[in-house]
Amino acid sequence: MTLFLVALTPFFGSIFVACVSRLGRLHAAWMAGVVTFIALSCLFPLMLDTFAGHTLVQRLSWIPRLGLDIAFRLDGLGLLFALLILGIGLLIILYARYYLSERDDMGRFYAYLLLFMGSMLGVALSENIIQLLIFWELTSLSSFLLISYWQHRHESRSGARMALAVTGGGGLALLGGFLLLGDIVGSYDLSVILESGDIIRAHPLYLPMLILVLLGAFTKSAQFPFHFWLPNAMAAPTPVSAYLHSATMVKAGVFLLARLFPALSGTPEWFWLVSMTGLTTLLVAAYIAFFKHDLKGLLAYSTISHLGLITLLFGIGTPLAAVAGVFHIINHAIFKASLFMAAGIIDHETGTRDMRRLSGLWNFLPHTTLLAMVAAASMAGVPLFNGFLSKEMFFAETLHDINLPWGWLLPVAATLAGVFAVAYSLRFIHTVFFNGAPVDLPKTPHEPPRWMKVPVEVLVALCLLVGIFPAFTVEAILVVAATGLLQGPLPEHNLAIWHGFNPALLMSVIALVGGVLVYLSRRHLFAVHERLGERLEFKVLYQDLLEGLFKFAKGATHFLDTRSLQRMLFIFILFILMLGTMGFQYGTASLTGDRMLLPIDGVSLLIALILMIAAIGTVILHHQRLVALILLGTVGLGVALIFIKFSAPDLALTQLSVEVVTVVLMLLALYLLPQRSPSESSLFLRSRDWVVAIAAGGGVTMLVWAILTRPYESIADYFITHSVPGGGGTNVVNVILVDFRGYDTLGEITVLALAGLGIYAMLEHLKLSGSSHDSQNRPWDQDMHPLIMASFARLLLPLALLVSIFILLRGHNLPGGGFIAGLITAVALVMQYLANGTTWTQARLPTNMHVVIGSGLLIALMTGLASWIFDHPFLTSTFGHLDWPVIGEFELASAIAFDLGVYLVVVGATLLILVYLGMVHRQSHWAHVRKRIR
Amino acid sequence: MMSHIVIAPVILPLLFGIVLLLLQKQPLLFQRVLSITSVVAQVVLAVGLLHRVSNGEILVYALGNWSPPFGIVLVADRLAAWMLIITALLSLCALLYAVRGTDAEGSHFHVLFQLQLFGLNGAFLTGDLFNLFVFFEILLLASYSLLLHGGGRLRTKAGLHFVVINLVGSTLFLFAVGTLYGILGTLNMADLAVKVAATPLEQVALVRVAGLLLFAVFALKAALLPLYLWLPAAYAHTTAPVAALFAIMTKVGAYSILRVYTLIFGEQAGPAADLIEAWLLPLALTTLVAGMLGAVASIRLRQQIAYLVMASVGSLLVAFGLNTSVGIAAGLYYLPHSTFAVAAFFLLADSIAKRRGEMNDKFDLGPTMAYQRLFGVLFFIVAVLVAGLPPLSGFVGKFLILQAALTHPALPWILGIVLITSLFALIALARSGSLMFYRAEPPQVSKLTTVTNTPVGLMPVMGELLSIIVLLSLCLILVVWAGPITDFTLATADQLLQPDTYVHAVLGSGAKY
Amino acid sequence: MEALISLIIGVLTTCGIYLTLRGRTFPVVLGLTFLSYAVNLFLLVMGRLTIARPPVITPGMTEYADPLPQALVLTAIVISFAMTAFVIVLSLKAHLELGNDHVDGKHKP
Repeated sequence: MTLFLVALTPFFGSIFVACVSRLGRLHAAWMAGVVTFIALSCLFPLMLDTFAGHTLVQRLSWIPRLGLDIAFRLDGLGLLFALLILGIGLLIILYARYYLSERDDMGRFYAYLLLFMGSMLGVALSENIIQLLIFWELTSLSSFLLISYWQHRHESRSGARMALAVTGGGGLALLGGFLLLGDIVGSYDLSVILESGDIIRAHPLYLPMLILVLLGAFTKSAQFPFHFWLPNAMAAPTPVSAYLHSATMVKAGVFLLARLFPALSGTPEWFWLVSMTGLTTLLVAAYIAFFKHDLKGLLAYSTISHLGLITLLFGIGTPLAAVAGVFHIINHAIFKASLFMAAGIIDHETGTRDMRRLSGLWNFLPHTTLLAMVAAASMAGVPLFNGFLSKEMFFAETLHDINLPWGWLLPVAATLAGVFAVAYSLRFIHTVFFNGAPVDLPKTPHEPPRWMKVPVEVLVALCLLVGIFPAFTVEAILVVAATGLLQGPLPEHNLAIWHGFNPALLMSVIALVGGVLVYLSRRHLFAVHERLGERLEFKVLYQDLLEGLFKFAKGATHFLDTRSLQRMLFIFILFILMLGTMGFQYGTASLTGDRMLLPIDGVSLLIALILMIAAIGTVILHHQRLVALILLGTVGLGVALIFIKFSAPDLALTQLSVEVVTVVLMLLALYLLPQRSPSESSLFLRSRDWVVAIAAGGGVTMLVWAILTRPYESIADYFITHSVPGGGGTNVVNVILVDFRGYDTLGEITVLALAGLGIYAMLEHLKLSGSSHDSQNRPWDQDMHPLIMASFARLLLPLALLVSIFILLRGHNLPGGGFIAGLITAVALVMQYLANGTTWTQARLPTNMHVVIGSGLLIALMTGLASWIFDHPFLTSTFGHLDWPVIGEFELASAIAFDLGVYLVVVGATLLILVYLGMVHRQSHWAHVRKRIR
Repeated sequence: MMSHIVIAPVILPLLFGIVLLLLQKQPLLFQRVLSITSVVAQVVLAVGLLHRVSNGEILVYALGNWSPPFGIVLVADRLAAWMLIITALLSLCALLYAVRGTDAEGSHFHVLFQLQLFGLNGAFLTGDLFNLFVFFEILLLASYSLLLHGGGRLRTKAGLHFVVINLVGSTLFLFAVGTLYGILGTLNMADLAVKVAATPLEQVALVRVAGLLLFAVFALKAALLPLYLWLPAAYAHTTAPVAALFAIMTKVGAYSILRVYTLIFGEQAGPAADLIEAWLLPLALTTLVAGMLGAVASIRLRQQIAYLVMASVGSLLVAFGLNTSVGIAAGLYYLPHSTFAVAAFFLLADSIAKRRGEMNDKFDLGPTMAYQRLFGVLFFIVAVLVAGLPPLSGFVGKFLILQAALTHPALPWILGIVLITSLFALIALARSGSLMFYRAEPPQVSKLTTVTNTPVGLMPVMGELLSIIVLLSLCLILVVWAGPITDFTLATADQLLQPDTYVHAVLGSGAKY
Repeated sequence: MEALISLIIGVLTTCGIYLTLRGRTFPVVLGLTFLSYAVNLFLLVMGRLTIARPPVITPGMTEYADPLPQALVLTAIVISFAMTAFVIVLSLKAHLELGNDHVDGKHKP
């Protein structure tokens, strides 16, 4: 599992570093170095195997069913990248320790850096592509943190967000691509995927998959037209730029191309998509780079252009081109990292990166100048420097299809790019270090601390060694890496400075000479470029896109959600209508069934008419609220009558008692609400609502009709037959309520209790102030409690209570039951409040309604639980008969206890609601009276 | 002999609710202890139940000892147990946060909280359609009061909308149940499944009407477009713990859709089969888009989270809408993730808002808050979680869903929309995060008042963040043990797609089905 | 008779929906009440129409009305009562906190 150690050490390290940084700023740096070193030393023992040509795979099972394992793979390619990441990482850590100033928080920096290092290693060493994707996105996230390291700067934040959006978005595309790839191959393991190139290329989903994968790769490697994020990411501290934006992260994209090269390449689609993107990027970026005034901007664009070069090489698709690609990856990492560090030193020493102010630094920083010159020469592809070798190979590769029509285009373009590369390298060196004296520098530069230059020196030394003795230095690792890439034998190649006089050499010469010429004629060219202007600035485009997104999102959201109840209800009803009609659209069955229907008799017709008229009247007159309320009561009465008509006495009783309480409630509410509803919705709205309402009503009518005219058989008979023997009650409805479906009732009374509590909670700390006048603006009657009514009510109370008890007890056998009884009691008590006032009644009825409700629920629940004692399920009922002296034979069912619970809850809740509202009233009422007196 | 463990998760919160009501005069501390005890006990029960049913056994509990379909039955299968454990864990975290002061802002908080759980657990366990209605009402009424808990103008307005639209929904529910009874003459879900499968042709249209009306009801609860309009305001304006608890409320709708349309209107339902297939996926995708756009457009954190809730419902129902066992399994993995993640986000948003003084949770330049670093890290983690980025559970969930979609004809749509909306989430969250944390000014610079009434000292802050950390670690568990968990969800999905096992468990193996 | 009852339920639904779509809380409350009337009747008649056969077991009587819908309606009535009460008080609260009784708290003088 050592491979796991290599990949995961940095992650643990980053947490560790974050902790130790509390002890002192430099601890973080040292720790980071140690961590990286540990990772490296875990890697070394494995190298020998890889050099021997073996591929090491280590896995832990994660989601086996989906073929998702935590699996790491070490082959040549992975090894090369691992070495780059760790090696350069080590140098960067050393460099950053001197670069960061006192104010910067080292702990945070190194924690983020290690986080990134780990993610990058994960990308390089993953065997499972989904796992590769996980690390891929982690690099996006950690680079977001690194770029935005200087949070207080605006450009850091926006640059970081841009980088995250572009690379993260690319990662999402990559996810799609990998899903398809995994689907095509039937496995997410690289070893399998690399084997099955032919299947992949032949698959119908090849093209979409390829496009998605390439989107991922191109966004990450800043390929045109996604290149714009990289220059903006230069807001990051320079060590970050040197590490992420030259050596590692931006290489992830080309790494992916290399990794999947055997599986995906070799088709026209691949050739055109990849090579054209690469070519465009190579040219455009090289051109822009030349005109950048910001030191890091120039380097950024040159990086883009070199990445384009590598992409182009992979696009060409020949094995040798791939080898050249790998080679250039190595070389570019080396010289570009050192150039960035040099730029960092300059920035650090002079306080500016603007090339219009920088010049003649040779006199201040001779040593740095020397280093920079070597690296720049390598970037330009000057012989004896490593850049030259890979560039030669590149030029040679562009010549393959020279004989095809348009075949000359590729070499020409390549040479042109070479020209600009030479030009901007020359500009970098000449303008900054020579070219007269500097212009008002923020501070006078002098050589940086010794150790800050060491990393640069190491890399520059490598430039020369590789450049002069390629065979002894880079050959070995290059061969291993290329083998790992191609998953097969290497083509014939020879790393040497001198290949004799050949077209490639010619192209190099042209590039060098042309570059010099271009640089000399720069004044003129700058003028031209000014006119060409920012056409090539894609940043602007991106920001417009983003703005557009925000605008669109705002627009859409506000269009959809206007926070209007009427609107949401309307949509809801419309939706229901739609679904309903969809449902009806089935089969050819007629609406009307074939069931025997009942005849209509006059009385019911009359009642029906009254009811409907009252209903419609309510709607028409709903602006006068009191009238509407009275009509509503009439409708409720009508409903009760219908219940009676269709043999549902219990319902009728319930309906009536509920009606009373509801109306009382509404009256109380009406006292505080305005007396009239102003008519505000326009005629259109009203007619629209009418249409919808009538449509819905019509739908319901049809539904009822369709059902009522059809026969059905239900489970009803069971209840009829088992009511007496099983439930011990003749009133089947009540037996269902307290026994067969007692569980429903338990829920139902909980709802009632909840309503009571909820209303109580709502009303407290609520300052009410009702209008002291009614709709006709007559003052409310201030006479509190009419005497007759008071005495009458007091007389009535015991009677009512007696009745309610009677109804409660008989409920099990005859219409009645806890609920109705409860409501009657409640109404009777409420009457006391109405008639005698709250104080009088409270004095005589000093019970806390919460307790009543609670105990009611408790009784009901306990009745249910009692059956556990007899090892029966919850709510199993039992009953027995016993002879009472006066009353005679009386049946006692456990259900009655349950019904008692119902009774208590109903009484409690109803009183809690009414009385509380009433009491709130009283305050507001008296408030008015006092106002009038004053 | 049936074991009472099936009904215990329902009885327990009710019992504690009643006790809390009777002891309402007792000091708050006492109530808190009781309340937490109850929820912890529910977690234990849920684990026990999950263990019992994980072998595929379906426990049936006939209330009042009345044999189904005549009495009401509770049915505990894998799905029910899964929902119960999620609810229990979520409510524990919400409660742990609430006892830090929210519960004192109004009366009866703990009673309402317990009864809310009573409603939720009942809804998940019941095997009777009308009883499902009753428990919907319980959890709704409880949620109304919890939503309004603490008061405030915007809260009241949002509450009013929430209540009214849900009342219409309840009425619709009754219409639908009534229709089913009027045609099929039964209420027990298993029995309904049998009856629907055997519906004579001239009745099918009516059955379909009922089924679609039910869908409208559940879609309203699940906040599916176009019925989501109540959600953003309601979630954005209530107290943090309640919002966190409500993370499960939309899932109740999703649960009901899953239950009813696999059991009653599943493959076997003949002409009434796959009623909503044509509707669910498109609506879910549009919901996802609308939700993400809302998140992008938001100018306040809570509002943004509310829209993210909606988006998560979208993704969840996309998974269910695939109507395959892998799809449903993916959804069942995504469900707890989205629930916990969103809940954590709501709680975190509250802690952040408290520390930003008058800036509250606006996306704008505010003062640096105490423990800026700590909150920054937490925000980053939660954002990664919610945006579905690697390596957290959000990514796994998204991966599972997309993987399940690979075989679906609408793959291009699903892939495109899910990936693009994820990008939206990325952009939106990066923006809100950098606006709230990066642009912060140190207090001495900032003219804005920083807050005072927040705990100082690492321990109290940790206490405040406890529930968030617990929720995050739950998400972590989802990742680390993704293997066994996905196996479980797949088994659950298979169980759902073979309703005959359910039916036979309820009606006895003799049932003609 | 069936036609008549279907018509009644339809009319009640229509009125209910129209009122619920109004802009002020009071008509909305009325509308919800109407809807509950409608649905209660609806539930009852789902057991088909039976006259003078209340489901109370009495010797010599064989045919009864379907008791189950009645039980359901009873539950429904109670629940809708609770809900109505809640809405009424909530609309009061809204009126007092938002300063007017518009469902969206918009102030339209």
